[in-house]
Amino acid sequence: MSTTSYTEREIGSRSRDYFAANAQVLSIAGFFIGCCAVFSLGSSTFLTAGNALNVLRQLAPILVVAIAMTFVITTGGIDLSVGSMAALTNALVAILIHHGVPWPAAVVAILALGGAIGWLQGWISASQAIPSFIVTLATMSTLRGIALYSTKGFSVPIESGTGFDFIGTGTLFGIPVPALIAVIVSAVGYVYLNRGRYGRRVVAVGSNAEAARRAGMPTLRIKTSVFLLTGLASAAAGLILASRLGSGSSNAGAGFELDVIAAVVLGGTSLMGGRATITGTILGSLTIAVIGNGLILMHISPFFTQIITGLIILGAIWLNTRVFGRYKSAKK
Amino acid sequence: MTTQTLMTMQPSLSATGAKPRMPILAMKGIRKSFGSFPALRGIDLDLYPGECVGLIGDNAAGKSTLTKVMAGTYLPDDGAIFVEGSEVRFAGPADARARHIEMVYQDLSLCDTVDVVGNLFLGREMCKGGMLQRKRMLAEARTLLDRLKIRIPNLNGTVEQLSGGQRQSIAIARAASFSPRVLIMDEPTSALAVAEVDAVLDLINRVKAQGVAVVLITHRLQDLFRVCDRIAVMYEGTKIAERQLEETSLEDLVQLIVGRRHG
Repeated sequence: MSTTSYTEREIGSRSRDYFAANAQVLSIAGFFIGCCAVFSLGSSTFLTAGNALNVLRQLAPILVVAIAMTFVITTGGIDLSVGSMAALTNALVAILIHHGVPWPAAVVAILALGGAIGWLQGWISASQAIPSFIVTLATMSTLRGIALYSTKGFSVPIESGTGFDFIGTGTLFGIPVPALIAVIVSAVGYVYLNRGRYGRRVVAVGSNAEAARRAGMPTLRIKTSVFLLTGLASAAAGLILASRLGSGSSNAGAGFELDVIAAVVLGGTSLMGGRATITGTILGSLTIAVIGNGLILMHISPFFTQIITGLIILGAIWLNTRVFGRYKSAKK
Repeated sequence: MTTQTLMTMQPSLSATGAKPRMPILAMKGIRKSFGSFPALRGIDLDLYPGECVGLIGDNAAGKSTLTKVMAGTYLPDDGAIFVEGSEVRFAGPADARARHIEMVYQDLSLCDTVDVVGNLFLGREMCKGGMLQRKRMLAEARTLLDRLKIRIPNLNGTVEQLSGGQRQSIAIARAASFSPRVLIMDEPTSALAVAEVDAVLDLINRVKAQGVAVVLITHRLQDLFRVCDRIAVMYEGTKIAERQLEETSLEDLVQLIVGRRHG
């Protein structure tokens, strides 16, 4: 008999396999719980229902964009323009409503605009083979500039009572509407990334674009489409912010792209592409939101919060890649 | 031997007919130049079902170019390709694939972070309403790997966790699952350990036993004697010799490759 005798990798114990496959998600979950524990000891208001809803409301824009960003980063790209896109859509929706456009029409128009600009960025990057880092660095400046130009730097008020404020401040079944939007986006993102053909294509392109191309996948279209997602999500974030604050401003979403990227990377999605986890992104976004909220509740100077946030993120990512990374497969 | 049992299991596919055989793929006078460099200067080669042809030669002899012409990646400047007697023109790899000519690339073209099932079905996922049918693909993958006697314990593990031989096997299994009639392999054993080479060679024999014409490029001449029926030797863009396996020897082949046996 001929036997198939590879130098075969053994099946390890099930629990160890599970741990290895989910090390990064487990590590960020532990880190998140640790943060919550510290903050609830440091502040009596942290662990209240009111504060939890508050965190959820603040978390929504980051989470919505982070889910879309997970798809972009999975293909090996990055979108730096999400903050500027949120500012632009935030300003434009206020201007539209200010000029008497009915708010549902304004919302649809803004979402379409966000998707279109995102698609265009993706197309430039994919078809011209320019790294998305460069393309979105350029649009980051351009979009913020358009937002500044169209508002002349002023904050544009949105009249209350039109119903538009429901998106940002309303509640449905006692849950803030932004949180509901974020939950729906997360669920759809989770299902499509893990079970959908689209998600499989995104992962394959990020893992080995040439192999995906040889296997007949439309790699250019996939690389373009993920930027449509971030464009759309950033527009949604811009709308949520405008509705919550009752005004549109070109200064909205400053530093937003960094929070979003930090959330995705904290969750364990690889910047090299091909490795993605929506669960991790959700936990990463929660962690970012909780750190911002908790430090304020503990009466730490707001000037310190940025410093501490940065250090905490650095520490968490170090834990994630260096310590828990060892449990991943020995290869590569 | 496994090969024998599979042969008897599938008699309809066995290649040992009494009548004169029709080549599944025939190439006549293939020429291909890159700029002023003639990579192929008129190659004739026939491939028969259930037969393995070894393609050997020094570097830059034209082996890879020839296989890329077969796989439709390169278009020949001159010459004709016949599939089962009728002339074809490949405009690209998709055309060759439509004629059931598959190629296993030297770099394997696997997605490391995708699981084994996902790699086997890469680009032709079974879907229902845009969602993957994971159970169905898992079952199909298990059947396919069992048929080729490839042992992968965990089909939901990612490919990066596998050994070199297992990775190679998956690349071959994927090509084999397109029900190829010609399977071209470019150096499938170059990066493998001894036991893994054995496994891959066994696998080639099993694919061959299912009636597939196999083309094998290799620098490991000892492998040829384990799987090939016929060996074509290339030298500077021409086919200088074609030997049945039983009428040649290692020494003979080495002499042919280095070019001492001809003018």
